[in-house]
Amino acid sequence: MEQLKSESLRNLRRPKGYISVANVNLLHLKNPWVTAWWSAAFPGYGHIIMGSYVKGFLLVIWEFAINYEAHLNTAIYYSLLGRFQIAKDVIDINWFLLYVSVYIYAIWGSFRLTVDLNKLSILADREDSMIIPIKIGSMEICFLDKRVPWVSVMLSLFSPGLGHLYTHRIPTTLFLMANYITVVYYSHVLRAIHYTATGAFSQAAMILDPQWFLILPSLIGFSIYDAYVNTVEYNRLFEMEQARFLSDHYQMPNINSVLADCLGGAK
Amino acid sequence: MIIAATFEYSFNLELAISDLEKRGIPRENIGAITLDKQVADRKVFDSIHRSDGISLFDGAAALGTVGALLGAIYGFVLEWGPIIWMLIGFVFGAGLGFILDYSIGKIRSLRNKKVSRKRDQVGDSAADVVLLINCETEKNELVEKILWDNFAIGVGVMSENRLVNK
Repeated sequence: MEQLKSESLRNLRRPKGYISVANVNLLHLKNPWVTAWWSAAFPGYGHIIMGSYVKGFLLVIWEFAINYEAHLNTAIYYSLLGRFQIAKDVIDINWFLLYVSVYIYAIWGSFRLTVDLNKLSILADREDSMIIPIKIGSMEICFLDKRVPWVSVMLSLFSPGLGHLYTHRIPTTLFLMANYITVVYYSHVLRAIHYTATGAFSQAAMILDPQWFLILPSLIGFSIYDAYVNTVEYNRLFEMEQARFLSDHYQMPNINSVLADCLGGAK
Repeated sequence: MIIAATFEYSFNLELAISDLEKRGIPRENIGAITLDKQVADRKVFDSIHRSDGISLFDGAAALGTVGALLGAIYGFVLEWGPIIWMLIGFVFGAGLGFILDYSIGKIRSLRNKKVSRKRDQVGDSAADVVLLINCETEKNELVEKILWDNFAIGVGVMSENRLVNK
């Protein structure tokens, strides 16, 4: 009994995951270049992948605001089309330089965070630290479960945020849905889809606002990727937790005599 | 006698164990061996049964996003408009990312060939846990029924009586 107590104390030090009513947060191994890449696609996404929500949400909101005010996406749009003069004209230099340092911080910060969290994740694995796989609150129930990675991919494809709802990541769900609705509305993408479906391609191109529309690929791409990774990692956490429970409590201390009884009948 | 069953990690496994305990099989007579599994070639996508987290999804998601972005931009000046070109860009980019990831993985696994003995396929229903139950012969049927009812992959029996009878 005493050993169990000291073990659980030890396990408090390097936890693998934490289950709250609205969310399961956990340490998982990730290639730091992958998180850095998502931060480059959209500042804040790299932090959200690693479970650093407050930083991630702040950076995303920052990106929405500064990018919009500086007309950065519009400038990117014209630059890639080779219309450099319009790109220069459209940038609002009253905002533009605000962008640089925080953008680079987002990439660097998520890279560094991933390296650190990878180490903590390995430590937690080695310590075989304990988690309590369910949390019941007055308004919600959150538990580890095995879920199908493909389902979260498809749900996120249909509507960013749904895949996270499926894995019970409520903060990300709310955040992505708010982002998605904003972008869809201001980019006029739904109208463009209607025009495209009826063959009115030039009308679709005319009505779309590049400033907002260019956010859509990274928003949807990120939602799919993050929901997928979460599903897989939650499944692994479920297995880890259950394996630990079984090897702690069901080990047949008398296995040798039991086997001897069984085999001894031969003699 | 010993009854052995294989299970996946699941709620059903815990339901089976708790049911057995409730029906009078003491905890000391239940043993669970959690299996380390041999990893075969890494699969394209993780499934609910098997996920190593290093599937070929990183590259596909990253390049798919780039492709969708470029498609969305150049779609403004191309024939079919931004929506269709965004989709084309996404499929093309994701495909490219997938192929890149896949070939890098192949090169790596060729390099490590000596170390890792490859198996053709690890089935999706490969067992995670072997459950051993030591019980009296009278309880045999009850135990087996509980195991099957909770979706054991396989159940087998080792009994002293069989040997004695020979």
